[in-house]
Amino acid sequence: MQPLANVTPLKPAARAGAIEVKNVGQVFRGRSQDVVALDDVSLEIKPGRFVVLVGPSGCGKSTLLMMMAGLRQQTTGTITISGAPILQPDPDRVGVVFQEASLFPWLTAEDNVEFPLALRGVPKAERRAKAQDALKLVGLEGFGKRHPHELSGGMKQRVSIARGLVQDPPVLLMDEPFAALDEQTRMTMGDELLRIWAATGKTVVFVTHSLTEAVYLADEVIVMSARPGRIVDHLQVQLPRPRTYEMLSGDAFGALRDRIWRHIRKSA
Amino acid sequence: MQGTFAINLARIAIIVAILALWEVLSRTGIINPRLLPSASDTFVTLGDLLQRAAVQKDLMVTAAEVLAAFAMAVPFGAVIGFLVAENRYFADVAKPLLFFAFSIPKSIFLPMFILVFGVGFAQKVGFGFFSTIFIVIMSTTTAVESVKVEHLTVARSYGATPWQTAFRVYLPSMLPVLLEALRISMIFNLTGVILAEMYASRDGIGHQIATWGENFQMKQLLAGVVMVAAIAMTFNELVRWVEARCSHWRT
Ligand SMILES: Nc1ncnc2c1ncn2[C@@H]1O[C@H](COP(=O)(O)OP(=O)(O)OP(=O)(O)O)[C@@H](O)[C@H]1O
Ligand SMILES: [Mg+2]
Repeated sequence: MQPLANVTPLKPAARAGAIEVKNVGQVFRGRSQDVVALDDVSLEIKPGRFVVLVGPSGCGKSTLLMMMAGLRQQTTGTITISGAPILQPDPDRVGVVFQEASLFPWLTAEDNVEFPLALRGVPKAERRAKAQDALKLVGLEGFGKRHPHELSGGMKQRVSIARGLVQDPPVLLMDEPFAALDEQTRMTMGDELLRIWAATGKTVVFVTHSLTEAVYLADEVIVMSARPGRIVDHLQVQLPRPRTYEMLSGDAFGALRDRIWRHIRKSA
Repeated sequence: MQGTFAINLARIAIIVAILALWEVLSRTGIINPRLLPSASDTFVTLGDLLQRAAVQKDLMVTAAEVLAAFAMAVPFGAVIGFLVAENRYFADVAKPLLFFAFSIPKSIFLPMFILVFGVGFAQKVGFGFFSTIFIVIMSTTTAVESVKVEHLTVARSYGATPWQTAFRVYLPSMLPVLLEALRISMIFNLTGVILAEMYASRDGIGHQIATWGENFQMKQLLAGVVMVAAIAMTFNELVRWVEARCSHWRT
């Protein structure tokens, strides 16, 4: 028998999906002047939380998300995900869902979902099975053979979500995923996302400009200000789950939304 | 379906009408038949010419020149176009120069090609290459620019290697534009080679057409024109057919 001492201890399961942002800054070197996109941002997100980032345009939400995804390196500070620094894209730890038009138009829905697996040489049968599971999870069973142009805006975003989920990463980053959708579709997609989130237990970081959407979806809302990008508030949304349409007109909901709005008005 | 059928019918009707008009103008003598032999005579001549060994050889020579020029100009131009599109510095330097070069009529360089290569295979391939390369470069640049940044970011976020990015993102994104480029390049290429043959050559279908013209052999001349037109249209339609099959890529 192997002596136990030789076995490398597994990462504590509780860390999987945890995000830690420590003193992170991002400076873009410009021709005439440098742009401080983010200044000393620190933030801790516990596994399984639904966290929404809001703030005026240009405050660095996308920049922060890109750094969490390993798609951009911060100028200063560290970002760790599941306990290890993120230095480059790591699809095992982080799935990304982009705004719109990020599906490959030349691939069918299922081939789009399989794309991350195909890159890693996963055998065809296994790939297909996983893609079918992911499409089923987002409510698109039976639509796998369609091309993106044959799907509605909402369905396309479902495919994008399925693609982000197909490798089962503990963290899902979403940059304004529903921005291009009409309001009704957007509401439905919000409910769908909450259902998927509850079913999978992922940590979600979600960027939006809609304060209603922010409060409706979130466990926590992080409010940022612009020039330089900083965190100005970190709210806990204590509303019970599942969230319902009726809550939108409640006092607790209104109070949270007002508090966020006051921050944004001040910094804009 | 009935719509496309009706449209095809209309197209065929127009072609038939043109041929009929041609026949009538010539037969009734409204246009001197020595200047414009009738359509039926022209097609009979075409059939005869195609069976002659000399004409077959000329066609082969021209085909070899066209293919050689095309096979060099397309990959070479594609690589340059790719570099111009992907490299900021290279693009800043080369783009205006390429536009200058593209705007110059290529035919004025033909005498120089004869001086450099002599009259022969190399002169025609060289001139075909020269006529084609600029359009290939410019189209490739456009094709590279048609690749969406979002798609590249997606590939990167899922850990694609440069090789995977090239084959799974660049190539399929560029393919519709590249096919279009291929089609237009062939038009330029064919024009270049035939022009070179007509200008100075000992063989090739362009040379034959020029000779028939000089000797006032109108039937043969028109038959030659029909021959070259048919070849050009066939290639064009072939590429268009492939294009249509991947039209949904354009979205
Ligand atoms: N590649 C870049 N080069 C230079 N400056 C950049 C770059 N990317 C972003 N910036 C600047 O950094 C700041 C933050 O941009 P970012 O896109 O993160 O904002 P955002 O909060 O996502 O805005 P929006 O709500 O409009 O999407 C902006 O001032 C922007 O101009
Ligand atoms: Mg943004």
